[in-house]
Amino acid sequence: MPTSPSSPTPLHKRKAEKVDRLAELMGSRTDEGRASGIWIDAFRRMRTNPMAITGAVIVVVFVAVALFSPLIAHYSPTSQAWGDEVFPNRNEFVGPRAENWLGLDHLGRDLYSRFIIGARQTLLVGVVATLVGFCFGALLGGLAGACAVLGGRWGRRVDNVIMRVIDMMLALPTLLLAVTVAALVGPSLTTVMLAVGIAQIPIFARLLRGAMLAQGNREYVLAAQSMGVRRHKIALTHILPNSMGPVIVQSTLTLATAIIDAAALSYLGLGNPDASFPEWGTMLAEAQRFLSTAPALAVYPALGIIITALGFTLLGESLREALDPKLRK
Amino acid sequence: MFTKSSRKPLGLVAAAAALALVASACAESDRDASGMDEDEPFIFAGAGEITSLDPFLTNDGETFRYARQALEPLLDHESGGTEIVGGLAEDWEQSEDGTEWTFHLREGAVFHDGDAVTAEAVCANYDRWYNLAGEFQNANNSYYWQAIFGGFAENESDALPESRYAGCEAVDETTAVIEVTEYSSVLPGGFSLAAFSILSPSTLEAIEDEEITGGDGDFTLPEYTRDASAIAGTGPFTVEDWDQDQNSVTLERFDEYHGEPAGFQTMILRAIPDENARLQALEAGDIHGYDLVAPADIEQLEENDFQVPVRDVFNVLYLAYQQESHEALGDPEVREALSHAVNRQRIVDTIMPEGSEVATQFHPDTLDGWSEDVRTIDHDPDLAREKLEEAGHEDLELEFCFPAEVTRPYMPAPRDIFDVIAEDLQEVGVSVEEVSYEWTEYTAQSENGNCEMYLLGWTGDYNDAYNFIGTWFSTHNDAWGMDNQDLFDDMAEVSSNPDEAERIAGYEDLNEQVMEELPGLPISSSPPSIAFAPEVDPPNVSPLTQELFAEASWQ
Repeated sequence: MPTSPSSPTPLHKRKAEKVDRLAELMGSRTDEGRASGIWIDAFRRMRTNPMAITGAVIVVVFVAVALFSPLIAHYSPTSQAWGDEVFPNRNEFVGPRAENWLGLDHLGRDLYSRFIIGARQTLLVGVVATLVGFCFGALLGGLAGACAVLGGRWGRRVDNVIMRVIDMMLALPTLLLAVTVAALVGPSLTTVMLAVGIAQIPIFARLLRGAMLAQGNREYVLAAQSMGVRRHKIALTHILPNSMGPVIVQSTLTLATAIIDAAALSYLGLGNPDASFPEWGTMLAEAQRFLSTAPALAVYPALGIIITALGFTLLGESLREALDPKLRK
Repeated sequence: MFTKSSRKPLGLVAAAAALALVASACAESDRDASGMDEDEPFIFAGAGEITSLDPFLTNDGETFRYARQALEPLLDHESGGTEIVGGLAEDWEQSEDGTEWTFHLREGAVFHDGDAVTAEAVCANYDRWYNLAGEFQNANNSYYWQAIFGGFAENESDALPESRYAGCEAVDETTAVIEVTEYSSVLPGGFSLAAFSILSPSTLEAIEDEEITGGDGDFTLPEYTRDASAIAGTGPFTVEDWDQDQNSVTLERFDEYHGEPAGFQTMILRAIPDENARLQALEAGDIHGYDLVAPADIEQLEENDFQVPVRDVFNVLYLAYQQESHEALGDPEVREALSHAVNRQRIVDTIMPEGSEVATQFHPDTLDGWSEDVRTIDHDPDLAREKLEEAGHEDLELEFCFPAEVTRPYMPAPRDIFDVIAEDLQEVGVSVEEVSYEWTEYTAQSENGNCEMYLLGWTGDYNDAYNFIGTWFSTHNDAWGMDNQDLFDDMAEVSSNPDEAERIAGYEDLNEQVMEELPGLPISSSPPSIAFAPEVDPPNVSPLTQELFAEASWQ
């Protein structure tokens, strides 16, 4: 948990004078001697953590592959150029060879190209879904937190209403919530992003609210209040920035679950209705029919999903550990 | 849309599901290969659920599979073949002009509820169908009556033709005479349809006042169609129970059956839509047989000692162009261009089971009337592009429907067939908009003309070309949106010609006409497979997919 009172953003420079005064009042600048100490400190510790390095490498490779996939892929992912060379009705598939690095799928499409382009879809879905969850979650959680800390009686009521709604969402299993949303909206890529994103909202909301409540009892808030700083300003420029740490860590972890959930939704047929366009979950669903005869068709997308999710989880977990004040040296 | 999720555990993430499937696919079956207890229920899985216990109200193969075991029409097909033989009627005669059909019923046959099988009972069934009114007259609820006999006693819609049925007379206890107004090649085949299974007089009395409620496309069938105790026929099995939650129909051996008694004491018909799930259920010993084996699974099943008899080819799969739904599809040049774009040979080679062939016309070559001289459509993308350009449709956008989550005897993997054709069409510059429906909805949508292009097929009900081409091209209908009056007139003339040789020549000519018009593209005719556990002595397999499970027993 971030305990430093200072914000690491440019906001800090713009409002240097005021924040400095606050920081002085609380005397916490002596903690590390620097305003942005906590993040640099976390980074230093992660540099020596093998878990973090593994996670970071996986994530960097995955993001690079996804971003440059059109350059890396050899062929169009939808082209059935080798359609007359595979015979799914006789279980005759084409394995890896010089022109098709991973072989061909059941319709004679290049598996390597589909896998690479699929990475891009997966990243897109993961990032957008996480952003949806992050933005709406932060909005709701931030509002509830601010109201609870500074809003008095009415504020606590607003907080109560928001949090009960969030609790209701939290009561539903993530995937079930996502499936429900997808079923209501109809299958499409946007649906998957929205569905997975919406399912993540309550986690972000609760987390941010919790962090803000913890900050609300701190002396610098009291000090700001006593100095007559307006309440919405305290919430936005003091409490919120100091509460964002855990939420940012959560985003990394959420990316992992978002990728898995998105794959699951596509697997269930609620994803991109144009199944000829690759997405790892869809590829997995397609390959299911040929599991006993051509397991490789399922292995590639499955490994893709597992390794990517693992990468984001490792990175997120080590970031969380690095930021945890209890584990500080 | 939810159909897909219903068969997969939601709680599992995709990767875990894949691993679980690998594990279960590899798991050794733990069946006991030794002799089975005679009372052990025989469980057979079809691909879809039945829709009604009264087969008259439906036209789907799964319902007819149940009906073939428990009920009997007047005539039947020889076991494992397409020749018409006696059913509930031991033998029959027809008058020379084909308008009078005399049926001699089996002596001593009784209905499940104890009623005697009499000529009067037979006539009561036919008269009931003829006199049906209200929503029963909707094509969804009396499909085969309209296909064979046209209209009803009192037609409530102008679209219905005058009925071909002229009456039924019980000459004596076991002789019934059915009269029709004109000869038609649909008879005697029509008398063998499972839809025209004879129900007992007590059943008819009990269901007399039942009505179909609901409007077009969304009917609620009457209560008795779900009540197993309400239905009594004459088949080798009685209907004990239809559990709609479990999708299973339970049948019990009928000990007073007039023929050879059934080999199983109890038989359960289940519905398992997913072909992988059917395969796994058989391998796990949960079921003892299933229909519509995926071509790729045949080898694996045979290696593991399962029996996979292959039926003879008696079906056709086609790509339909709905001519009224899109202005371009009304243009014969465009239909020809699209047809040239499709690589049918690849579909047959890579997706269809062994023994399949590219179809040159709308019925398999095993039927009389198949013509060697029809126009052939070769795979030629360049020609397709050229023709589209000539017709001014180089930027054509078309909606293309296919059924999700289903396998049909003529269509093993709809999604794959769709993918191949869609890619072929895109290759010649046609943009394809993908539309998929769950099976029941799919048939309704395509029949009501809501799909511009769609995949569908047909398995013959009896050995007559009209059962294929007449079904589609005898009148204007929403499924095709075709308006070729000359073809319709010829169709009517040929099918009512009592001279067999002339009729067959007529069908050949009709097949040629249809391929000139090109309302759709026939894709393939293929032999569907059926699988049985090693301990089952299976029934003869039927090209009409009309297996009689009473023939089967434990080994």
